[in-house]
Amino acid sequence: MGSDEPYDRCVSRRRALKGAGAAVTAGVVGLSGCVGDDGGDSGSGGVDPLADELTVWHAMGGQLGETLDQIAADFQDETDIEVTMQFQDSYEDVLQNTISGFDSGEMADMLQVDSLFAQQVLDTGEIRPVENILPDDFDTDDFLDNVTDFFVIDDELASMPFNNSNAIMYINRDAFAEAGLDPDDPPSTIADVRAASETLVGEGVTDYGITWPNHVWFVEHWYSLEGELMTDAENGHAGDPSQFRAPDAVTDLYDWWQGMEEDGLYTNPGIEAWGEATSLFVEGNCAMLLTSTASVAGLIADSEFEVDAVPYPTISETRVGPVIGGASFYVPEGFSEDRYDEIGQLLEFMADPSVQVDWHKGTGYYPITESSLEELRSENWFEENPNYETALNQLRNGDASDPATKRILLGPARQVQTTVQDQSVDIIGSSDLEGSIDDMQEQATAELEDYYG
Amino acid sequence: MLGLIQYPARLLRATRRQTAALALPDRRDLEAIGLHLLLVGSVLLIVFPILVAAIVSTKQTGIVTSLADLAPGGHVVENYRTVLVDYQFGRFMLNSFLMATVIVIGKLALSIFAATAIVYYDLPYKDLLFLFILFTLLLPVPVRFIPLFQLVADMGWTNSMLAITVPYLASATTVFILRQHFLSIPSSIVETAKLDGVGPLKFMAFVLLPMSKGILVGVSVIMFVFAWNQYLWPLVIINAEADQVAQVGLALLEGDVVGGEVSWSLVMAGSMLTLLPPLLLLILFRKPLLQAFVIQQK
Amino acid sequence: MSSREIYTDRRTAGLLLLPTILVSLVFLYYPAARAARRALYSSQLGLDDEFVGFENFAELLTSGGYRSRLLLTVGFAAVVVAGVMAVALLLTFLVHEVGTGKSIYLVAAIWPYALPPAVAALVFIFLVHPTLGVLSGPLATLGVDLDWFADGRQAFVVVTVAAIWKQIGYNVIFMIASMNNIPETLTETARLDGVGRLRRLLWVYVPIMTPTLFFLVILNTIYAFFGTFAFIDIMTGGGPSGATNILIFDLYQEAFDFFNWGLASAKSVVLFAVVGVLMYVQFRLTDKYSHYGA
Repeated sequence: MGSDEPYDRCVSRRRALKGAGAAVTAGVVGLSGCVGDDGGDSGSGGVDPLADELTVWHAMGGQLGETLDQIAADFQDETDIEVTMQFQDSYEDVLQNTISGFDSGEMADMLQVDSLFAQQVLDTGEIRPVENILPDDFDTDDFLDNVTDFFVIDDELASMPFNNSNAIMYINRDAFAEAGLDPDDPPSTIADVRAASETLVGEGVTDYGITWPNHVWFVEHWYSLEGELMTDAENGHAGDPSQFRAPDAVTDLYDWWQGMEEDGLYTNPGIEAWGEATSLFVEGNCAMLLTSTASVAGLIADSEFEVDAVPYPTISETRVGPVIGGASFYVPEGFSEDRYDEIGQLLEFMADPSVQVDWHKGTGYYPITESSLEELRSENWFEENPNYETALNQLRNGDASDPATKRILLGPARQVQTTVQDQSVDIIGSSDLEGSIDDMQEQATAELEDYYG
Repeated sequence: MLGLIQYPARLLRATRRQTAALALPDRRDLEAIGLHLLLVGSVLLIVFPILVAAIVSTKQTGIVTSLADLAPGGHVVENYRTVLVDYQFGRFMLNSFLMATVIVIGKLALSIFAATAIVYYDLPYKDLLFLFILFTLLLPVPVRFIPLFQLVADMGWTNSMLAITVPYLASATTVFILRQHFLSIPSSIVETAKLDGVGPLKFMAFVLLPMSKGILVGVSVIMFVFAWNQYLWPLVIINAEADQVAQVGLALLEGDVVGGEVSWSLVMAGSMLTLLPPLLLLILFRKPLLQAFVIQQK
Repeated sequence: MSSREIYTDRRTAGLLLLPTILVSLVFLYYPAARAARRALYSSQLGLDDEFVGFENFAELLTSGGYRSRLLLTVGFAAVVVAGVMAVALLLTFLVHEVGTGKSIYLVAAIWPYALPPAVAALVFIFLVHPTLGVLSGPLATLGVDLDWFADGRQAFVVVTVAAIWKQIGYNVIFMIASMNNIPETLTETARLDGVGRLRRLLWVYVPIMTPTLFFLVILNTIYAFFGTFAFIDIMTGGGPSGATNILIFDLYQEAFDFFNWGLASAKSVVLFAVVGVLMYVQFRLTDKYSHYGA
């Protein structure tokens, strides 16, 4: 690694985007070149690998990316199979390059796809389930139930879960103490959050009580913890959904959210503004932050105060379980069998307990197999680092059998995401709360009809 | 032209009556001070955002949230060193410089040819031809970049200097500016050339170019800035590590911020570095740049 | 035929024009046409394309959302063009009038123009982020409560200001040359006649500068429609409530976020047509003034 590491990443990013361009291009060409045959994509199914060595498109920047590079290097030492980890800037870019890559016919061997975009990638029909790639002796039962529940599609493990997370709440213990709140009894419902925020702001300790990035994932958490489905057909896991749901609990949620905003207890960092939300917490503007468990290592390091990771606040006392977040690795269809053999080895390596343990410690993403959990427990890791256990407990305490805890699996996920994020801002600023929620519901339902209809 | 000058002259007479001479002896001095104050104020407003960026580039993490945070930080050397060395900005900037230089020279040559043909040749459908060139303004890279990629890749230009320069060589703006300039060259000079039987190449070399020095330099600076700031296209078409340009290097820094590392300071250090070459050109060539663009009527 | 058209050899003229025409055709028109062709297809995810004729266009024309975005974009462009030119004109005039330090002021005023748009947008977020921005505090004491993540009108203003700021320098470059070219005698006459500065600018200089101003209107229009993408993308994402969702962003989102290639292509054709018509009208006006105004 060392000093030329960012350089490598830079290269990979470019290549990826190049792939994107090629892909998109091919789409257009497919169209203009084959007007006679319905503009069908002639290259469909004939995917070529991007390079001789295995390439992985991922979205892990900075420290996380370096950890991935290390995994690749270790794998190479062990097997002599060359692997390049190509940083793509964001999950959105990985998605773009993936969709485009299928068109251009040049694909990476493994694609780190955000769980939100899973269905979009599956809908290309050009994915080979990892269950068919992994070595025969690989034990898929070792994955935590809550994890496989999302990633098993049609009874097959479609993709390899790797970096998984859920949203938790971080509190600034020093600010809580200064405001006369008990940091050991953190808010557990949104009503508690409001009470704590009132105290924090009222005592002049922080400017606002709480913040979180305006991202659909947080709304999803509120639905699932409440045991409510976001769409029919079990959030898309049981057939084609046709209806976006907005049960009463959602009205309660937005009613609270609006009140927090109006009373200056919550501040909006911006749409998908992960960095800004974190800055607001680290800078002491807010004493509570909702964000991914993957931020745990960075937040503790960057903050000049004591940070606690606590469970996500719920709408009511009900606490069914969180949805999964993070990403998994997909493998395209169409390579040679020898190549799948190599990919299978890499997938197996990445799920290996020792790799998973290092990954968890370095990042805060929770371990996803029982065996890696056992290894961490045997080292007393969680006793020494309780903040790393919060998300895991939240997941383990969740009711994996409740369909509401399965994250939305929608073809038009990006459209629904954009709708929820944009409309959330409208709703909290609206004088007609119910009407605005209806608008969001109608618009998201229309997106579903557009896609599946 | 005359009409336009006469029009305000008529108004002048009208206003003269209203504003009868108020002039106090030191009015001009007072006004000059007022002017300077106004200018300093406006220039500060315009430059302020970049000052902030410069200050951010000297900080450790680069979070600035209030005016009080605007004291420069102590991480200048290490931030700029990181960007230049670890992130290879030196090399990227050299590549950008090469790309921009080739584009400027090529564009200039092509545009001089085209404008000469349009102004000094008796051609049918001249207006249509001119519109054909001008309408390329409506086809920015994002609108066509997908098929363009396929095309350039099919030509086997991927990763080459050709790929990031040739597609830029047709310039509506430059042709337009040169056309206007050529039209402003007195026709007497042109007619003399005709009488002397000077051929088109000689005419360009010995009449047109010497009379257009200022505007050629000015338009080159503008083309350089345009070429230097290209991002989307080089990003897509170049994939050899050694050949990438500075704007893509900048996006890489931003990607790291998104990726969880709050290193706004590095992003801004990179921004400041990439701003330097265009800024130097603006300063060096300020005279021709600021004097040349007199767009006159036919 | 003007007296300048001293050459008649069409073959040489063709050779001179050939490189520009070739590059335009191959790298500009041809790819654009290929992209436009896709507008006749329905394609999601870029995989299964199906010929649908003008269905995509019909969808756009009947969509209330798209029509309002179109209006919004035209409004945005009008404000940006007018704003840029007003500010740049005043600034140029101040520089023109000042006795000493002209070039220092000029260079200071035009260099933001050298900044790439994406960086400019990022810098603006530093300044006016509602809670984190450097200026949000001072502005609050002045009674301006920044809330542009939720307040559409504010978002529009913020994005417009950023877009204007970035383009001032480019305009000043052209305006100063044009203004300096105004005969000194005219200025002197006006001075001696005691005409106030502002009047001199508006009634003496501006009419003489019309050709330059027309040229800038066209380039600024192109900028407002196409060149402001980075500001929207980085600052507002088209929101809130679509208050800043201008056509170039809408098009990008359709293509690269939602992967509706067919519809996105139709959108790029409409955008081309709209700006094309605007530009044509502006040209006709310029021509009219240039040819018959004098």
